[in-house]
Amino acid sequence: MSISNGRIGRRTVLRGGAALGATLAMPGILRAQTPEAIKVGILQPVTGTLAQDGELGRTGAEHAIKAVNDAGGIASLGGAKLEMVFADARSTPEGGTAAVEQLQSDGVAAIVGGFASPICLASSQAAARYDLPYIVDVGVSDQIVSRGLTNTFRFAPGFGTCSKTAIDNLVKLNEAAGNPARTVVLVHEDGLFGSGLAKLMAAELPKHGFEILDTIAHPTPARDMSNVALRIRSLKPDLIIPSSYYGETVLLMRTLHQQRVEPKGFYSVLNGAASNMRFVKEFPEVADLDMDCNHWHDPRKDEAQALKKSVEDAGGLWAYNIPLNYSCVKLLADAIDRAKSTEPKAINEALAASTFEGHIMPYGPTKFENGQNTGARPVSLQVQEGEIKVIYPEEFANAKPVFPIGG
Amino acid sequence: MRSSLRPYLPVLALGVLLALAPLLLTSNVALNFLAVTLIVSLAAQGWNLLGGFGGQFSFGHAAFFGVGAYSSAIWQMRFGLDAWTGLLVGTAMGAVTGLVIGFLAFRAGLRGSYFALVTLAFAEVFRVLANSSEVTGGAAGMLLPLKIGAGNLQFSDRATFLGLVVALTVLVLGLVQWIRGSRFGAQLVALRENEEAARALGVDVLAVKLKAIGLSGAITATAGVLYLQYFLFIDANIAFGTWISVEVLLAAIVGGLGTVLGPVVGALALHGLGELVKAAVGQLPGIDLAVYGAILVVAVAFLPGGLVGLARRRAAPRQVRKAEPEGGRA
Repeated sequence: MSISNGRIGRRTVLRGGAALGATLAMPGILRAQTPEAIKVGILQPVTGTLAQDGELGRTGAEHAIKAVNDAGGIASLGGAKLEMVFADARSTPEGGTAAVEQLQSDGVAAIVGGFASPICLASSQAAARYDLPYIVDVGVSDQIVSRGLTNTFRFAPGFGTCSKTAIDNLVKLNEAAGNPARTVVLVHEDGLFGSGLAKLMAAELPKHGFEILDTIAHPTPARDMSNVALRIRSLKPDLIIPSSYYGETVLLMRTLHQQRVEPKGFYSVLNGAASNMRFVKEFPEVADLDMDCNHWHDPRKDEAQALKKSVEDAGGLWAYNIPLNYSCVKLLADAIDRAKSTEPKAINEALAASTFEGHIMPYGPTKFENGQNTGARPVSLQVQEGEIKVIYPEEFANAKPVFPIGG
Repeated sequence: MRSSLRPYLPVLALGVLLALAPLLLTSNVALNFLAVTLIVSLAAQGWNLLGGFGGQFSFGHAAFFGVGAYSSAIWQMRFGLDAWTGLLVGTAMGAVTGLVIGFLAFRAGLRGSYFALVTLAFAEVFRVLANSSEVTGGAAGMLLPLKIGAGNLQFSDRATFLGLVVALTVLVLGLVQWIRGSRFGAQLVALRENEEAARALGVDVLAVKLKAIGLSGAITATAGVLYLQYFLFIDANIAFGTWISVEVLLAAIVGGLGTVLGPVVGALALHGLGELVKAAVGQLPGIDLAVYGAILVVAVAFLPGGLVGLARRRAAPRQVRKAEPEGGRA
C-alpha cells in the first residue's frame, strides 16, 4: 500500500475506487445472468387448531419448490427459481386474509394453500381484489368454486365429488363381499364438513339398502367420546362412518377399541385420521383395517413414491396434504412457465387453460371449469399391516379390501 | 360550551388519528390490520358499556356479535334486501337480543358469575342453533356474494371500508362518552359500585341494566355486521364462537375497564404488539400469540386500570391515588 507519511496516495485512491466500483457492480452482473426468483406465497395454518395440517401442507410445498428449482426452475423465464414466502393463516379466516395482504405486499406471483374451507373462502376472496392467482390445496366446500372468482382454482375434488365417490365405492365394496353390512351409525363433527357429509350420507345410503341406526354429532374439539361409544355399542351397527378431524377420530376409535365395539367395518370420508400415518404409527391396533375415502397420491407414480420416501426418511409423516400441496405448487410452476410471465392475469389465464399432467395425484391432466379441476377424484383407502393402501378404484389399487373385518 | 366539549377532547383526538389512517396508509396490510382490530374494538366497546361501566360481566358477547352478523346475512340473502338496511337490522336485532337476555337474566336477579355463565350459555345455544338451522345455512355458514359496490357495503379498496369502520368507532366512542357524563351513566356506575345502595337511592336497577345490555348488544352486533361485510363469510363458529367473547373482554380489560377509550386502546395494543413481534421475529409461528398472552398476564397483574388507567396515573399521579375516578376496580 502506498501510504506515505500517513497519507493515502492518489493511485491508491484510484485503485481502491476501481475495486469498490467493481464490487458494487458485481451483483448487477450476477443478476443479469440469473433471473430474479419468483416469489410463491404458501399459505397454511401453522398455529391454532389446524397446525398439524398446516405443517403437512408446508412440507409438500417445500418439496415441490425444491423439485422445480432442482429441475432448472421456470424454463420460459430463463430458469428463474421459485422462492417460498410463507404465511401463517392461524386457523382462522381473519388470519388467512391478513396473510394474503402480507403476501401481496411481499410481491408474490400467486398463492397456494389455505387448507380449511373457511380460510380458503376468505383468503381467495382477499386475493381476488388483486386478481392474484390462488390455488386451493384442500378446502372441500363447493362454495369455494361457485363464486365466479377468476383467480381461484381448486386442484383437488370438492365435497360433492368426494361424497359421491365414497358412497359408490362403499356400495361396490359391500356388494363384492356379499352385502354383509346393512346397518350404519354416522358419527360426525358438527362443523361444515362433518354435518354436510352426514346429511348427505343419511339421504343417500338408504337408497342403497343401508339402514341408518343413528346420526351422532359431536363438537370439535371433543375431549371425551365415552357416551358416543356406549351409544354405538348399544346399537351394534355393521358399519361405523365417522366424519371428524384428527383428534376426535383418534379419540373415537380408541374409545371404541377399549370398549370392544367390533363392527364389520369403519368407513370414513375425508377423515382427519384414517389417512394419516401418525394415527397408523401411534395406534396400529386401533387403526388396522380402517377405511377412508380421501385425497391420496397415485401409488403408481415413481415421483410420488420418491417424495413419500424423502418425507419419511427426514422423519416426517405422510398424509394427503403433502402430495396435494406438492402437486398444486407444480401446477403453478407449469402455469407460470406457460404464461411466460409472473403477471397475475397471465398466470390466471394459463391456469384456466391448464392441462397439467406432471402432478402426483390420480387425476389425469387438469381441466378447470369455473376454477374446479373436473378430473379430480378421491380414492378409497384401507390401513393394512401398518401401511395405508389404495383399495379403490381397481385400476391403481395396491391392495385388496379386507371386508368385513373378521369375516 | 368549552367545558361541555372538554370531555370529548380525547375521543376527538383519537378520532382524528384514526380518521387519518385510511387517508395516509397505503399498505393494505396495515389497512386490513386496522379494520379487523377496530371491528374487534367496536365489539369490545359494547362489552365495556355493560361490563366496564355497569359491572355486569358477560362471557357471551358472541351472542350479540353473531346475531348482528347473521341477521344482516339473512336479511340480504334470504330476503334479498340491501346491505345498508342490513346494518341497521343487525344492530336492532342485537339490541333486541340484549333486551331479551337481559330481561330473563336480570329479572331473575342473576349477577356476577351467574350472569356471566348465563350469557355464555346463550352464546353456545345460538351457536348450536345456527350450526343446525337451515335459515342460517347450517354448518356451511353463509357466504355473501361478492358484489363490489357502495350500495352493497362492499368496497374495492380497503381504505374506504376502514373509513366506515373508523366513523362507526368514533360515533360509538362519542356515544359512550356522552353516556358517561349523563344521568344514565352515573346510574350505571352507581349500580356497578353498589347495587343495593343504588336501589336505595331510587335507581331503577332493572331498567338501567336493560338499557345498558340493549345498547351493548346493539354496538357489538354492529361489529358483527361489519365483520360479515368485510369477510363476506360467517359460520356458527365464527359468529357465535368463544373467540369473539374472549377478544372483547380482553380488549376492554387490557385497555381499561369502564373507560371510554379503553377498548380501542386495548385492542390496538394487543393486536399491534402481536403484529410487531411477528414482523420482528419473523418465521417463528405463534410468537405473536405468546406475546399476546404475556401482555395479558402483565396487564391483569400490574394494571388494574388497564392501559388508559396507566396513562392517567402517569399524567396525574396524585389525583388518581386520591380519587380513583373510574375503572380502578376490576
